[in-house]
Amino acid sequence: MANRTDPLARNVHGTNPQNLVEKIVRSKIYQNGYWKEQCFGLTAETLVDKAMELDHFGGTYGGARRPTPFLCLILKMLQIQPDKDIVVEFIKNEDYKYVRVLGAFYLRLTGTVTDVYQYLEPLYNDYRKLRRKLNDGTFALTHVDEYIDEILTKDYSCDIALPRVQRRWNLEASGVLEPRRSALEDDFEEEEEEKEEEDAEPMDTDDRHKEYYRGRSPTRERDRDRDRDRDRDRDRDRDRDRDRERKHDSYKYRDRDYDRDYDRGRDKDRDRERDRDRDRDRDRGRERERDRDRDRDLYRDREREREGGRERDRKDRDRGRSRSRSRDRYDRDRDRKRVRGSPSPQKEKKKEKREKKEKVTDGTDHPDPEIAEANRLRASLGLKPLKL
Amino acid sequence: MIEVVLNDRLGKKVRVKCNEDDTIGDLKKLVAAQTGTRPDKIRIQKWYNIYKDHITLKDYEVHDGMGLELYYN
Repeated sequence: MANRTDPLARNVHGTNPQNLVEKIVRSKIYQNGYWKEQCFGLTAETLVDKAMELDHFGGTYGGARRPTPFLCLILKMLQIQPDKDIVVEFIKNEDYKYVRVLGAFYLRLTGTVTDVYQYLEPLYNDYRKLRRKLNDGTFALTHVDEYIDEILTKDYSCDIALPRVQRRWNLEASGVLEPRRSALEDDFEEEEEEKEEEDAEPMDTDDRHKEYYRGRSPTRERDRDRDRDRDRDRDRDRDRDRDRERKHDSYKYRDRDYDRDYDRGRDKDRDRERDRDRDRDRDRGRERERDRDRDRDLYRDREREREGGRERDRKDRDRGRSRSRSRDRYDRDRDRKRVRGSPSPQKEKKKEKREKKEKVTDGTDHPDPEIAEANRLRASLGLKPLKL
Repeated sequence: MIEVVLNDRLGKKVRVKCNEDDTIGDLKKLVAAQTGTRPDKIRIQKWYNIYKDHITLKDYEVHDGMGLELYYN
């Protein structure tokens, strides 16, 4: 009786709002002491009092997966379904950070996409510390803006599967949202002007590998543009046909290929690309003209990775055969031509050799196909190969 | 290398190849890869002993072919 959703409550994402929490976790909450004692007969006002008493947040913990009070209050909010202005009040209040996080999480679960981005992005500026309870019962330190970033980008948090929200650049492209204006943007504009004066001479590749690199992209994007323009004509014919097919599916394949690029071990470029990914979400407004150039760069990066991978596999398989040797030389020439305007080929070759060595000890080339497949799975999970 | 059988008595029976010095947490990851649930949703038990994530199979004396119970959190 006490666990039924308020009969006047609306459907959320097409279902009873309490069903956003999975059955097993929900049962654990219903059996919990905090729920039974404190959350009985709560209304929106009394819920605020309970929320102010929170001092940590998290999902379920321990071997028996006990829920935290935070999770119980979330389920209570889903049950009574407070009005949107009450939730916005939760988010806007400055004094109690856990009330803020509670409201933000509830809005993320129940709100529309525009609401989510509109109300949660101001919280990026809140840098206070939070105490988070982990799965094994210990506490960890995190910050409000870190957590907001997590719930906006990941699809699982605090043992609840978060409803899907579209990426920010999709919404900007369709005009629903304004491009994001970061609070730090003014500071970076100043730095950008300084950088422009310094970069009067043309860049060479070493500059890109300097130890110091800016976390945000504006200067780097411009330098990358200059190099990219230099190579564009040379590569255009070769890439044009391939690009035409790929452009259809660009958005579908984009994120997956980014993940593939991460695993390939291009350490120097990994941080740059990761920042580039984050930057795409943050500095969209400034980079609108450069979007097209970035797309072309992405394709070229992906193709280079694919070529490099194929060449590597061929080297492994056909080690002694002369046929592959001439083919490798042909590929190497093509790659060298294409690679001229990018991180130096020697560094890439070294990385290939290192990866080749790692692959050999992986056990993935075991004659027994079952064991080879098991080893491949273990390698993808980060475990050592099977000991036979 | 040992092969462990996990059964949840509701239709999911999974055979997993692993090392003896893998932890229960690693075993959960392998099981999750095969069944499709998340690794933190899986609970591995033997009667009423819930197996903890940081202890190796060797220390729990899990041998080749042994059956474990699969539950969900």
